[in-house]
Amino acid sequence: MCGTSDGDPDLDTGIVTGTTGAGTGTSVGIGTGSGSGTGEESVDDAERAQFSALLEDSAEDLYEHAPCGYLSTLLDGQIAKVNATLLAWLGYTRAQLVGRRRFADLLTVGGKLYHETHFAPLLAMQGRLSGIALELKCADGSRLPVLVTSVVKTGTDGEPLLIRTTVFDARDRRAYEKELLRARKQAEQAGEDAEQARAEAETAHQGVEAERARLQRVVSILQKSLLPPELPRMPGLDAAAYYHPASVDVIGGDFYDLFPLDKGRWGFFLGDVCGKGPEAAAVTSLIRYTLRAAFLVDSDPVHTLATLNAALHERFTGSDPRYCTAIAGTLTPGGEAGAVTVGLAGGGHPPALLLRADGTADFLPTPGGMLLGVLADPQLTSATTLLRPGDTMLLYTDGLTEARTRSGPRYSEEDLHAFVADLAPAGAQTTVDAVQRLLGGFGEGLDDDTALLALGVPAARTAAANPGAAR
Amino acid sequence: MTTGMTLSSGQTATGPLLSVAGDLDHRSAGVFRAAVNALALLPGQLLTVDLSALAFCDSSGITALISGRNNARAAGADVALVRVPPSTVRILRILGLDQVFRVDPAPAPGSAPDPDPV
Repeated sequence: MCGTSDGDPDLDTGIVTGTTGAGTGTSVGIGTGSGSGTGEESVDDAERAQFSALLEDSAEDLYEHAPCGYLSTLLDGQIAKVNATLLAWLGYTRAQLVGRRRFADLLTVGGKLYHETHFAPLLAMQGRLSGIALELKCADGSRLPVLVTSVVKTGTDGEPLLIRTTVFDARDRRAYEKELLRARKQAEQAGEDAEQARAEAETAHQGVEAERARLQRVVSILQKSLLPPELPRMPGLDAAAYYHPASVDVIGGDFYDLFPLDKGRWGFFLGDVCGKGPEAAAVTSLIRYTLRAAFLVDSDPVHTLATLNAALHERFTGSDPRYCTAIAGTLTPGGEAGAVTVGLAGGGHPPALLLRADGTADFLPTPGGMLLGVLADPQLTSATTLLRPGDTMLLYTDGLTEARTRSGPRYSEEDLHAFVADLAPAGAQTTVDAVQRLLGGFGEGLDDDTALLALGVPAARTAAANPGAAR
Repeated sequence: MTTGMTLSSGQTATGPLLSVAGDLDHRSAGVFRAAVNALALLPGQLLTVDLSALAFCDSSGITALISGRNNARAAGADVALVRVPPSTVRILRILGLDQVFRVDPAPAPGSAPDPDPV
């Protein structure tokens, strides 16, 4: 091959060289070449030899140096013939194998078993087996993954004579399969990891949700403990209340209560502790019971607020002061034509609103009444009014008058006054329902908790159809 | 947590000056209290709190103002709230705190600012 290709670039030179080379091996060539008349034939022979090499029509060379291994075995497995390619792969010499080893001797233990139980019987039955993956043992002890195809050569009478086997080097393929397997395992592992992470996240999320639900239950229960479970029924008087929490997660500091006093009178209060959260709630609880107790001793609203102020001022003078605003008062029924006398006192609290039966609305101011707990001896201001049939008094906390409206500015006391003036006349429940709807309209703008307490004298019997007087 | 409040400090002839801008509420009250506590007030001094840029003040903000006032009183000093927006003046009146603080309302629009309130 090499000589031929050397000659290719220059045909004339090649011919001369080729003739010389060919001449050493073929006496005929030389003989004819010596005569000037036969020069043409000599060139033909040389070209044929070159083409012969190019076309690989040397069967022996093709067999020995094929890109796959060839193996012929007798029916008992004895190796009868093996090509150089396979010998090179295995590292054996021809003498070590031919006539000395059987094909099965080249197999691993597992391969031998497979050969005996499957390979050989199937081959005997079918006369052919292809693409069987096996591992051959090399002379140096290493393993060579191969793909084996065998056919049984039969004589003219159909009797099996020997087995021809081709052996393909499957190292690349095995490596590829291993890589595929590794990639698949990796993908499966990644999938499992992702699933595990998802499950863990799900568990954590459920835990957080459960914790949040538990917290909300605690907040709700505590919040309820700060408010009366239901308002008492009062002869000749209506009452309605509503509490709007700022958030289901945060306990608020607004409070109210309504309770009987002596001689058919009733006591009430509504207020707002500065701040939010458990600390504010603890103070709210203290305030509620302090006021209830103070009312039992002395029902003068100014005195009850003074008692509360003293308790707060004494208790919370440190770095975490707690103040509250409150309105406290008494209801004394038995006035002329069903009228009820209201006496109240305010400590820093927004003024009560009066919705009159004639459709007007007014504040009931307690000017100068001071935030409770700040000073040892604060000014507290009292006020009185008469609730006649059809009149309602609304107490509220500043969550209402400090709500951010959707249009931007905060909802003011003037806005609230205009709202209830439109509403009047209205009974206690009607008033609370209407303000509750107003609060709902603030949506996110309502960032503080809000308490409402309405106390009213039902309108005269002729106006009993008024739903606000139904209670 | 963002507070929505900025504080700046300065000095007047009678003592330190704190200017509050933005919302003084439950988120920012602690910051304000800490700032007042950090002032080394001397007996007879007047802490001036400029509220001209105050946008909103809730009950926690009021508590912080009272806390500042208590600290000042403990040091023998006093507090004046100056250039107080009308809405805050209204809240301070409802709470009766106009009797506790020296409150100087914000000047009417158009008039010259009054940096020296007392």
